[in-house]
Amino acid sequence: MTRVARLSALALTGFLLSSVAAVAAPKSVSGPGPDPNCFKPWNAQTKYMQWDKKPGPYRIAVVNGFVGNTWRIQMIQTAKAFAEQAGIKDKIKELKVVSTGTDVAAQLGAMEDFINQGFDAIITIAVAPDGFDRVIRLADRNNVVIVPFDNVLDTDKVMQVNEDQLEIGRSSARFLLKELGQKRDGKILEVRGLPGNSVDRDRHLGFRELMEKEGKFQIVEVVGNWDDGTAQKATADALAVHGKFEAVFTQGGSTGSVRAMMDAKHPFVPMAGEGENGYRKLIAKHAGDGLKGYSYSQSPGLVSISMKAAISALEGNPMPQLISVPIPAVDYTTLKDNVNFWSNLTDNFFAANEFPACGVNVTAPEIMAKDAKNTQ
Amino acid sequence: MADVALTSDAAEPLEKAQRRRWGFGARMRQHAGILGGLALFLALYLFYQANHPRGFTGQILIQNANEAFALALVSMAQTVPVLMAGLDLSVGAVMTLVGCIASHLVNGSPAEIAFGIVICIASGAACGFANGCVVVYGRIQPIIATLATSAIYMGFALILRPTPGGKVHEDLSWAVTSDVREFAATFGLFSDGEAVWLQPFAWIPVPLILLALIILLVWVPFTRSVTGRTVYAIGSAEGAAYMSGLPINRAKLAAFTLAGLFAGLGGLFLALQTSSGNADIPQAGAYTLNSIAAVVIGGTSLVGGSGSAIGSVIGALVLRTISFNFRIFDVAPLLQPLFEGLVLLAAVSLGGLKLLRLRNKLEVFR
Repeated sequence: MTRVARLSALALTGFLLSSVAAVAAPKSVSGPGPDPNCFKPWNAQTKYMQWDKKPGPYRIAVVNGFVGNTWRIQMIQTAKAFAEQAGIKDKIKELKVVSTGTDVAAQLGAMEDFINQGFDAIITIAVAPDGFDRVIRLADRNNVVIVPFDNVLDTDKVMQVNEDQLEIGRSSARFLLKELGQKRDGKILEVRGLPGNSVDRDRHLGFRELMEKEGKFQIVEVVGNWDDGTAQKATADALAVHGKFEAVFTQGGSTGSVRAMMDAKHPFVPMAGEGENGYRKLIAKHAGDGLKGYSYSQSPGLVSISMKAAISALEGNPMPQLISVPIPAVDYTTLKDNVNFWSNLTDNFFAANEFPACGVNVTAPEIMAKDAKNTQ
Repeated sequence: MADVALTSDAAEPLEKAQRRRWGFGARMRQHAGILGGLALFLALYLFYQANHPRGFTGQILIQNANEAFALALVSMAQTVPVLMAGLDLSVGAVMTLVGCIASHLVNGSPAEIAFGIVICIASGAACGFANGCVVVYGRIQPIIATLATSAIYMGFALILRPTPGGKVHEDLSWAVTSDVREFAATFGLFSDGEAVWLQPFAWIPVPLILLALIILLVWVPFTRSVTGRTVYAIGSAEGAAYMSGLPINRAKLAAFTLAGLFAGLGGLFLALQTSSGNADIPQAGAYTLNSIAAVVIGGTSLVGGSGSAIGSVIGALVLRTISFNFRIFDVAPLLQPLFEGLVLLAAVSLGGLKLLRLRNKLEVFR
């Protein structure tokens, strides 16, 4: 008897859920949205989306995929630190972070679980650019905002947050051209990232676009896999073969590239690289000797912009479907200890966590404090 | 002997009862691994459901069934070679390859979809058969043979899907990842799923039904066939099985083919679930590793000869359920892998508990 009652209750719940659903979905609206300097539309064609306004404070889940490198761990710590900041803390009722590994079924399941638990927004780094149709459908039915960032989806049905990788390549080229002054020939070293990755491709294309237009440089390419060790070895090999470079552009493992030049007694030259703390420490130390460095970053702090965007969407604001976050970048003239790099922290720390256009700055002590709390 | 025969009239009922009791006990002991896994799964899963804000509803069941299906099938696939004391490192790759094939073929008219599904299942089985041929006729250890073939299958998958994408029939995808009512409603069956007789089953997730069908129609008949028994015999004592005239080669080929078939079905479902194909190498590796863990949790012995694919399904459910709980409880994100590891260690240690009860240490080597 109870079994029958249980079953019919289940059936009824299912029926209610399926009939309540199938209403809500974000509306397609015209811009502009709030805070256009921070939530910058990707391009002129980017459409705007608007969800029904929900009363706060909100429950937000971060569904990470792969975990196990410094970047991801710092991203998780940043999310927790950002949720504690004044102005954000009172808008977030609950923040839950899970990592599902490189398994799309587990990530889909986790996202669906948070939708069913009644969370208001789900921030995620997708493990695959495709395959989220079912979850997006469910999220729309339940008025949940899904925000993929960093590794985004091949869809225009959700709001996404990323940095423009082409622009990272271009801004690096602009910096090097400026530092080279009148010089428009000679050899340039380009240390690339992980082959086959779209980020590597776009940064390369953006860099080449300006460098090839502006001068008659001979650009030497090596593969550094965004990894200090690999980049150091690749740079050392390139130095051994080519002798002298006028400037260096590295996509990652920047600390390794600089160390290889120091080991080879290569004179310091203008250099554009990622946002590793070690690289910034070296720039600060050797800028006077000629290491005129530029440091951009695909920052783990992107998670905080994604959370901010999710909150803004939940407050009923029209939001660009694809948000181009201003690239957090510094150069040798703007580096400052304990502000945008930390001489007392490890080289592996990603130092770029400041987004002035968004009013977001999660400092290293805040992130590290999270670390201490989580591991004890 | 004669004494026993003489007194048989009086002794028979007692003997029978004793034998029956011994039989029940033996059967319990035989399935101790599965039962341990099942108990762990029920404990973890009921705990999760009880603490979920929408616990014990169809929605949660569907979501969990979807998440577990592919891993359950890949774990079933892994079980078959493990029963012969071998490991199949290609199950994740076969799953990925079939998923990529599905993202090309399972679309269009009903006839095209049916054709696509048949091709997917056939390619899974063909991959497994190829593994079997390398092992049987190449006389190479399964672990090495499948390590090599897994790279080949991943290569094919990458050729088919250099970048993730593709399309799977939308309605079919929605129908198999929902409950019975949605399934019927999507295809206009049984008065759109509202038929009265259907209501008691309407809440059951389709993946669970598919899983039950695969077990009942493929696995159970296989274990009852001579070929299936031979697979177990090979795992216990290959020499003895050979001397007894059992069809060793046929059983090995069948075992690997069955593994390929199961892995392929997992891949087909994953493609339907994500409505796309993705030749993701880390993901294939993760599935292979998790399948081995699931097999062990499910009580199948890694030295072969005992265990069951049903146990591995339970093992896969245990693996999934551990991480379900992280979504409910506030476990520090960086400590989650640690907790997962501890529960896994506890789970596989359950199987070792029986060693404490042995009277003679030599029995460890039986």
